[in-house]
Amino acid sequence: MPVAAGRDELHLLDSGGFMWRDAVELFRNFMGTGMIVIWFLLAVIYLFINEKRKYVRILFVYMPVTLLLLYFNPLFAKLLFEILGDEIYYRLLWLLPITPVIAYSGISVCWKVKEGKGRRAAGALALGMAAVIVFSGSFVYSNPFFYRADNKYHMPDSVVHICDAIIVPGREVMAAFPPEFVQFVRQYSPLVCMPYGRETIVERWGFESEIYELITAEEIDLEALNRAVLEERCHYVILQSSRRVKGNFADYKWELFCEMDGYSVYRTEYPLITEW
Amino acid sequence: MALQLLILALLLFAVPLLVGGIFTDVDKSVGQLPLRWVSGQFCLWACFQLICVPFVLWSGNFVPMLYLFLGCSLALAALGAARSIAGWRKKKASGAVIPVFRRKPGRAEALLWTLFAAVLLFQLVQAVRMTYTDGDDAYYVAISTTVANDELMYRKLPYTGYSTELDARHGLAPFPVWIACLAKLSGMEAVSVAHLVLPVVLIAFAYGVFYLLGRTLLPAWGGKFPLYLIFTELLVLFGNYSIYTSESFLIARSRQGKAALSGIVIPFLFYLLLLWLKRLERQEKLPGVFYLLLLSANITSCLCSTLGGVLLCMLAGITGLFGAVSYRRWRQLVPMGLCCLPCVGYAVLYLFLN
Repeated sequence: MPVAAGRDELHLLDSGGFMWRDAVELFRNFMGTGMIVIWFLLAVIYLFINEKRKYVRILFVYMPVTLLLLYFNPLFAKLLFEILGDEIYYRLLWLLPITPVIAYSGISVCWKVKEGKGRRAAGALALGMAAVIVFSGSFVYSNPFFYRADNKYHMPDSVVHICDAIIVPGREVMAAFPPEFVQFVRQYSPLVCMPYGRETIVERWGFESEIYELITAEEIDLEALNRAVLEERCHYVILQSSRRVKGNFADYKWELFCEMDGYSVYRTEYPLITEW
Repeated sequence: MALQLLILALLLFAVPLLVGGIFTDVDKSVGQLPLRWVSGQFCLWACFQLICVPFVLWSGNFVPMLYLFLGCSLALAALGAARSIAGWRKKKASGAVIPVFRRKPGRAEALLWTLFAAVLLFQLVQAVRMTYTDGDDAYYVAISTTVANDELMYRKLPYTGYSTELDARHGLAPFPVWIACLAKLSGMEAVSVAHLVLPVVLIAFAYGVFYLLGRTLLPAWGGKFPLYLIFTELLVLFGNYSIYTSESFLIARSRQGKAALSGIVIPFLFYLLLLWLKRLERQEKLPGVFYLLLLSANITSCLCSTLGGVLLCMLAGITGLFGAVSYRRWRQLVPMGLCCLPCVGYAVLYLFLN
């Protein structure tokens, strides 16, 4: 009990408790609905009781159980948290052979039934197991982040169109994109550089960019944005065509380079060298 | 594009198949084609890691590294081919190329194989048709694209394109540079190699690994084996119960090293460990190339992720200890431990550089 513990012991228990809670939280997140992990644990128990081959028992029973004991051990968790960081501790759970254990124990049960009650019963059981997997899990392609690819690059068409429009072969151009483009631009073209990237968009990473703040404001302050993009040597600024803007583009010598896919591409005053 | 695909097919299928000739003695009970493909690719990955990391840390120059890797790949392919030819001459090579076709399967078994092939084809078609938006691609795929274009490794911020000092943390696991190599050699854009070609190849490759694992678990042919593979497919396809699962990573983020680690390298280590334990139980001697393959798997884990080595050492350590205690074969831990040394080396390097 913390009350009875000395100061140092209390600290150890506190930090241990904290790590344990984090490990449990990560395990919960990993489990999702929890059904497949429950089937896995049941399959491990089934193999513990029924599996005769020792080498299968070692890999599919003893190893996962030991791994789970280590995973939930506060001292071990504390050590690994310090080395790896709290975000990736869950990857330890990748060492659980969930897929092979469920598949193998499912087959073992089906063949036991086949030997006792015949092929039809085993076939029906196999179908039932397949249905259980389907209903316990979640279809990968139902993830909302999956969508039909627009092109052979698997990048949004608008990114491809705009990058193709502003690229100067053999040279790098600097362009400020709206946040929804940022993660795609440099995957598609190494010739397009940006004043801010994904590191700014992920808030918890704590990076700041004046251009990002200005470009995502409800009303874009053109004077401030012009100053910021020139400081960052931006040749282009891409804005949603429908964005509200305070100021006049002509006052800052911004030229409408092109409009495509609902976005306006502006050329700034910063000189762009297009010839070698 | 046809020529680019042909070159990629050579690099991702033909060369690994030839290199795999080195490893045919590892396991004669499984199909030679999957074993050759999988083991050959692991050997090439390990070779790539050993060549690339010193270049990343030293000069960052991509092109000399690429040529050196190409040369080593061709040398390994020649060695594998020579071993295969010698084996065939001595009629040592066991098993047909795909042993399932050596015998005529029953009706139910044929139906299960057809179903397995159909579900696999569905996944491969989906890998081409569908795309998955993942923020980490902004880092990893951008590295591939930048390296293929600038011919300099880990000297630019992939998010923005600004020059920077060496990014040693990511540079120790240069899986994106391997993608850049494929792009440079084939002439295809790195973004297409990463998002279009690799998912197809790596998903099929992952089933190659599950095939090897399954053959070791279920040595007798019959309906059991294709049914096991169908269950595996279902568990992968319906493995999105959270975004953290290895199944979810495999399908959604195949082009990232951590997906290869969780969906391919770790299951491959399950296979190798199962084989190791099985041989211990039967008191059979393991060929030297087995440990070479285990070493390759460990080094590949470091190629995929800086965390990979830690995970694989843990897995090998726990299983190895259980094996040694259960079969009272303590000396077998020595080669197992030696195979983990590169992972320890990369971990020390990581701590030193960060």
